[in-house]
Amino acid sequence: MTLQFKPAETFRDTFTYRKSPEDILRFPFPFPEDAYMYSVNIEPHVRGGPTAAFQAAFDIDEHYIAECRERERVLKEDPKRCQVLPHMLAAEWDSLELIMESLAQDYPEHFSLTRAGDLWTWVNRPLNIHQSFTFGKVETLPCGPFEYITRQAQGDFTLQDQRDDNLYVDGGMVTTQADWSLEFDIGMSFHEWHGPVPLAHEKGVFDRALKYLLRLQYGQPVRRLNWTMTVNPRLDTSPENYPVWGPDKASVTPENVADKVHLRVELQTLYRLPRSNAILFGIRCYLTSVADIARVPKWRRRLHRVLRDLHPDIAAYKGLPRFRQMVVDHLAPLDDGAPTSRGIAPDTDVLAG
Amino acid sequence: MSDQGIKSRPKYQPIAPDPQGRHHLLVVDGPEVPTEALAEGVTPSAFEVWTVARKSAVPGSAAMDEEAGAVRVFRAVPHLFSALEERLARETMGLRLYAAGPETFLWDANGIGARAGLSRQEMAFAHVGAQARRIFCVHCRTVMEGVTTSITTCAGCGAPLFVRDHFSRRLAAFMAVQVDAEVPGEVPPAEELYS
Repeated sequence: MTLQFKPAETFRDTFTYRKSPEDILRFPFPFPEDAYMYSVNIEPHVRGGPTAAFQAAFDIDEHYIAECRERERVLKEDPKRCQVLPHMLAAEWDSLELIMESLAQDYPEHFSLTRAGDLWTWVNRPLNIHQSFTFGKVETLPCGPFEYITRQAQGDFTLQDQRDDNLYVDGGMVTTQADWSLEFDIGMSFHEWHGPVPLAHEKGVFDRALKYLLRLQYGQPVRRLNWTMTVNPRLDTSPENYPVWGPDKASVTPENVADKVHLRVELQTLYRLPRSNAILFGIRCYLTSVADIARVPKWRRRLHRVLRDLHPDIAAYKGLPRFRQMVVDHLAPLDDGAPTSRGIAPDTDVLAG
Repeated sequence: MSDQGIKSRPKYQPIAPDPQGRHHLLVVDGPEVPTEALAEGVTPSAFEVWTVARKSAVPGSAAMDEEAGAVRVFRAVPHLFSALEERLARETMGLRLYAAGPETFLWDANGIGARAGLSRQEMAFAHVGAQARRIFCVHCRTVMEGVTTSITTCAGCGAPLFVRDHFSRRLAAFMAVQVDAEVPGEVPPAEELYS
């Protein structure tokens, strides 16, 4: 299906972001069952999956142009949202190659990559970019290779260096994050940057996940879903700007809860990179309002049950206490108690309401 | 509130010389090696020791050789760190760096070691003395020293800040986040936790 981009929509101030019916149905709903607890929910990242968001290596949707513009704006305000430590240059080129090749393969109508030896030409039609450059020569691009390509992709990215049997977050493009700071976390080990997450350390989740990721193979990427909730369709919920978006959380009322509160899902992908042996971590963010989720019967039943029974420590870590009960109260009358099928697929191709 | 359950907070243990090391340099934020900084049975003579006198008139050291048992005295912490940068720049494989003192001193030493190419396995730290924290305001990047309370006011942007246990070794600082961002004025009382 041809994407109808909506370049003018906004993720701050006026919040004109809206989802088409097709965009709602392709949402990677994060709950495979009616209850939620931390787990090592990692699976192979192969094309095809329960919704259309899983059909490409790096998913592009109708918000592509608007999200790239929002990223450009965040970087103008705070250039340190993109930082890469100097020893990661090989990983930068690895990332550029992987993302360019994948976008050109998955979306030939929008992107193309032609190579003559080290002379590459990249065409990005939605953003109207035509760039010839020499692979491996930084001075032939307008900025560093990692920044260059991640300015043209949806979602955040980090670069993990592997050494001493650990992973270190030694670079990133982080403008659409769920309340973590690259400026503060850059250089941290795997357990350090996950330090603030409750319960999961005690369950051994991070020990097992690190072991698994240290063995990640080139050509066999993996993925997992993570989630939180955000008031208003705001991409930049950074700690840096918490004084700007924090007041949103106190603005939710029983009358506006369905439109204001959004389920925020991260489709996280992990790729071993060939030259650097680093890992590229993609954190692709999707926002869907409670009102839009309620248009899918299975999803509204399940979201109601998950939020109603959520462990209070997880609710507190994700910043939900001010409005969780309002979401539960809104969804309760919409949950008829019927059983739900396993997995995240919407089980319908028509929206209710 | 004193244990927020955050796992980026470093853990420390008393120092013992790494048997894999060829030479052991111990830097101390104070005039002598605190006994509680060393593991049981370990004596300062196992290390080349650098100390800080906090005096301008520092007598010449009896032994200036770079060997175990030698003690060098510095006027102040920046004086020691300046010499440490020079020393590490000309060191070779096998050096182990140890530090004893308040947390800020340890992680500033760690930063100098890391920039000189020492790995985490080549350094060890013992936290002795003050618990006061260096904090980093995540909103305006102001760094404040010697914070002893759970909540303090940012000297840079004026925000009332909550001091999290989330620690960055690179910045040698704890993260501080505005405590009343959601409802301005909703500030809990500050507790004296890190004195």
